[in-house]
Amino acid sequence: MGRPVAIIGVGQTNHGRRMDVCYPDLVREAVVRLYEETGLNPDDIDGVVSGTMPSMMEGVALTHFYFADAMKAAGKPILKTETCGSTGVSIAHTAYYWISSGMADLILAVGHEKMNEGDSQATMTTVAEPFYQRYFIAGAPGVFSMQSQMWSVRYGLEEEKVRDAAAFISVTHHDSAFDNPYAHIKIRVSMEDVKTARVITYPVRLLDVCPNSDGACAVLFASDTMVKKLGLNKVAWVKGVGYRGEEYYFGDSDKAVWQSAVGAAQQAYNMAGIKDPRKELDVAEVYNPFTFQEMMFYECFGFCGLGEAPDLVLKGTFARDGELPCDPSGGTLCTNPIGATGLIRTAEAALQVMGKAGDHQIPGAKTALSHAMGGVDQFNGIMIVGSEL
Amino acid sequence: MAKEFKTIKTEIRLPYELAYGATWTKFFEGMENEIIYGTKCSKCGRVLVPARSFCPRCFVNTDEWVETAQEGTLTAWSYVNYSYFGQPIKPPFIGALIRLDETDVDFLHLIGGFDLSDFDLVRKTVKNGMRVKAVWSDERKGHVLDIKYFEPA
Amino acid sequence: MPGKVAIVAVAQNAGAESKDNFYDQAYVVTKEVLDKVGLTREDLGTIVSASSDIYHGGISCANSYYWETTGAFLKNASRQDGESLFAFFYGVMRILTGHYDTALIISLCKGSENPENDACTLMYTDPFYTRGIGLQETMAAAFQMRLYMERYGISEEQCAKVAVKNLQNALGNPYAHKKGRYTIDDILNSERIIDPLTAMQVAPKSEGIVAVLLASEEKARELTDKPVWFKGYGSSLDSFYLGDRDLLDGQLKNAAERAYKMAGISNPRKEIDLAEITEPYAFQELLWCEDLGFCDTGKGGEFIDSGVTQKDGDLPVNPSGGVLANNPYVSRGLQRIVEATLQLRGEAGERQVNKEVKTALAHGTHGFAGQCHAVAIIGS
Repeated sequence: MGRPVAIIGVGQTNHGRRMDVCYPDLVREAVVRLYEETGLNPDDIDGVVSGTMPSMMEGVALTHFYFADAMKAAGKPILKTETCGSTGVSIAHTAYYWISSGMADLILAVGHEKMNEGDSQATMTTVAEPFYQRYFIAGAPGVFSMQSQMWSVRYGLEEEKVRDAAAFISVTHHDSAFDNPYAHIKIRVSMEDVKTARVITYPVRLLDVCPNSDGACAVLFASDTMVKKLGLNKVAWVKGVGYRGEEYYFGDSDKAVWQSAVGAAQQAYNMAGIKDPRKELDVAEVYNPFTFQEMMFYECFGFCGLGEAPDLVLKGTFARDGELPCDPSGGTLCTNPIGATGLIRTAEAALQVMGKAGDHQIPGAKTALSHAMGGVDQFNGIMIVGSEL
Repeated sequence: MAKEFKTIKTEIRLPYELAYGATWTKFFEGMENEIIYGTKCSKCGRVLVPARSFCPRCFVNTDEWVETAQEGTLTAWSYVNYSYFGQPIKPPFIGALIRLDETDVDFLHLIGGFDLSDFDLVRKTVKNGMRVKAVWSDERKGHVLDIKYFEPA
Repeated sequence: MPGKVAIVAVAQNAGAESKDNFYDQAYVVTKEVLDKVGLTREDLGTIVSASSDIYHGGISCANSYYWETTGAFLKNASRQDGESLFAFFYGVMRILTGHYDTALIISLCKGSENPENDACTLMYTDPFYTRGIGLQETMAAAFQMRLYMERYGISEEQCAKVAVKNLQNALGNPYAHKKGRYTIDDILNSERIIDPLTAMQVAPKSEGIVAVLLASEEKARELTDKPVWFKGYGSSLDSFYLGDRDLLDGQLKNAAERAYKMAGISNPRKEIDLAEITEPYAFQELLWCEDLGFCDTGKGGEFIDSGVTQKDGDLPVNPSGGVLANNPYVSRGLQRIVEATLQLRGEAGERQVNKEVKTALAHGTHGFAGQCHAVAIIGS
């Protein structure tokens, strides 16, 4: 299907509360790092894809204008991809399709968000249906709490066990963030800290939730011909892409077995020829703004059976030294500049298969999954990358 | 550590006017009269609530109106204990998905009618699978909060 | 070109204000375009929509809202912001990769629910500098118009002629929001809202849910006997600050050059039979005609005087009435595709031009004084 496409370079900002820079300068930091890393020049680029979460999160609309110069996109063809929380992976998909279609050889993809400049939950509540649902949906945590509850009730999971597994995820991801130079939250937490933190939306407590981060991520995609022309050997080939979405009305679809997550993964696995993901994947960067939800993704993506995730989490199956390490970067739980977050997942997956993930490298990783989700618990997108074509 | 430079405080407010159209108009007329309207898909037979003009899955018009039950079973709930700018309801409150009897999707609303200040008490009172029923406001305005909340039945 | 992609069906709703519900209307337009070729929702391959949160009734992450109205339940769909021709191009790409054999492109903007266009375009500015000055699209256009008149001796009358032509053309377009027979004086004597622009030289704020169904070559032949083929596309973005740009030497030339190269067009004036272009401000039609290579630089005034761009001229421009007649901000680029498609298929009704149309150009622009342009070439 189409032409082979590879990721050939990645640039990230130091994510965090970045009130030291204005928004365009934040975006530029990622783009400059990408060009430094690859040794390429903006003049070489055929086009740019950019995106953010809701355009108005920071009070500026149609941000491709605002960042035209920061991305060095003036005079270039541009696409502006936005799919709510899944924007980052959707940007990666756009770059993939652009090159795979034969219409470009080198595409710059940039995701960005400066969460500390807005009120993220206030913005996210404006995603909800205005006549009826907006009154009851308490931003993202409200929705995700209900979802995790539906899941644990469906599979008769003991509350204590689920609580422990979620706390385990929080502890291990916070530890991992120390090995990622770009991560936002770097604190050591104990199981007890997580389990006794303040309730945000029951059962979700403060340390189960991602932060508001400022950050940008730039990723360079190239055609197989361009990879050859540049003589590159450490690249991350795009092996699979998948995306699915459900209805707008929260309540219309079953969220305990999340069909869009199942379907998106299936589409990507079919393309990549993956049958047993737990065996065939070496690492996964799962979009996990909430600890509880991460376990549901493991199940929906076929990493384990339905209702089995908490036991396996506690056994360490998905830890850094486990069978299928998930979010060795610390994940979304420690860094969440939303419009960039999905692209950071893809960038991290690419770094892993290129062997460039530094202190959080999973040794010998050859195939990696990246993921993002968005909407009112609606969208899931996947990109799988591999070291071999 | 990075030095913090100046910031500017600003607020964006823009006026919008949103059209209800025929389906929402009838739904909210129902609310005013203590009726919860759903619509039934003629193809898959699902009753969707609140009422929709079409079935998202079968992609056909839904022209059969249904007055749904006002009691149902709790599917999921969330005790909200944080606040943000513009939040329509003051915390703490309980957002919930409720499967009204004889319907096929979950209806989003509030659980209430008891003391919400004590979280441990709330956890003892509210359980998935419990029966709940709508409590109507005395002054109804054709608004989603014409139902004050659903209380344990 | 790696393969062929065709437009197999189009649909749009009326531009005039409506109190119908947005969500319900989106479903109606989607249903209409699928029904035209008998494609079921199940068989639809992929969906790429266009919308902008700022033009979306105060609802953020617009495509969350209308997802299932576009037939996208449990499908792979994506979305473009700002310009609906972006979505058109992305849909073409998705088919060319071979992953999908049909793609629904749908742009959604319900002007009646939104604030004035310039309350929205003000939000394109940076919060520290240009927003404080109150810069917005109409102000930028007024700068550009003055510069255009002064540098090339274009007259106000020549600019006003565009409005006269397009509003009259719109009389034949049942979807048009504004239409009528006016004189140059009517246009120039309308309220001088932001000098040198008068009110009738500025596009209105309209409704527009616009859908285009794309198909691979094989699938297109199965679905229709009147396919319209994708020939070429180009876009280009300009620098952010207005002061960093030459307002009369913008990005449209780049965008057009890319589209012409892909379509194998070397002489646009001869090879293009009809153009639907985005002219939210009357004079811009003249300037864009220059940048598209329809006439020489600085000759846009003489070009309209010659009558070539009239509906019965040699190169009709905006026989639909263009954006001055119908301005659903995000949707207007895709609406140009719809209008060009109807002309190529001979289905444009009262607004059908008299000449044979084999190759047509559709153009979209958004932002300040042509801050971003997109050009598509389609042909029978």
